[in-house]
Amino acid sequence: MNSNYLNEKTVEGVLATDRDAANEISGENTVRVATAGYQAEFPYERDEEAQVTRREFCNFLFLTSSALFLGSAGFAGKLAYNASFPKSFSPMKIEGAEALAPGNALNFHYPKENDTAILIRAADGGYYAYEQKCTHLTCPVYYSKSNDRIECPCHEGGFDVHTGNVLYGPPPRPLDLIKIEIRDGGEIWAVGKITGGEHESA
Amino acid sequence: MNQLEEREIKPVETASRNIQTGGRTAIWQARLVLLVMINIAQLWILSATIEAALAAHYKQLIPLVIASGVCWLLALSIFLWWKPAEKRQGPQQIVRNR
Repeated sequence: MNSNYLNEKTVEGVLATDRDAANEISGENTVRVATAGYQAEFPYERDEEAQVTRREFCNFLFLTSSALFLGSAGFAGKLAYNASFPKSFSPMKIEGAEALAPGNALNFHYPKENDTAILIRAADGGYYAYEQKCTHLTCPVYYSKSNDRIECPCHEGGFDVHTGNVLYGPPPRPLDLIKIEIRDGGEIWAVGKITGGEHESA
Repeated sequence: MNQLEEREIKPVETASRNIQTGGRTAIWQARLVLLVMINIAQLWILSATIEAALAAHYKQLIPLVIASGVCWLLALSIFLWWKPAEKRQGPQQIVRNR
């Protein structure tokens, strides 16, 4: 009996100690005292965490406006600057073009190794070459033999085989045209590039 | 008598202060709303600029950049000058909130 009584008292005492300890730990002051060392290293108040004053927000909006203006001006200026230089292209033979049957297409690289292009021999036997990047979002276009047109699979854009003009879909301008020459022996040479929708000399 | 006068005046002063505070809040809100609207317009202009540049429509670039510049000037004027007056120190004198 005594032992039971003692046990109950012991358990109650332990629980009370735990309760007090729990209450003490959950108190904000105790936590602040316990974390004083960290707060000294990182003086960051919890109440200020989510607080942005109107003045700070106003400054942020003005800085955003400045950044957007500089972005527009810089982007437009850089592209206009790049476009002001005359482009020169070196002639390059398109390997395997002589054997291309009507209604087929061939990929090649022009003017640089990273620039993919497509040479198409239409059903009428004529050769047409374009840069392979769609003018919408630069997806690679392909020649659809059944529809006799160039198609972009990404956003359903279509281009005319003979001119590169947009037939339908979201592309804003024609494909970039690659000028070709048929030289002696039926060799096909790429000799220049014209930006679609522009009248630049190659 | 003086205490009575003070009791009569205090509510009037408090109401006046509340009206001033409410007016300042409205002006601050208006500034922020205007700046947000200008930012949205500039975002649209930036996207139009990029689209025009990628489409090789170089003639559209200058008007777009000018429009963005006008928006920036509006934001600058709101940021620098369209500030609410903090308090009046006389019939004509206004102290700016800096």
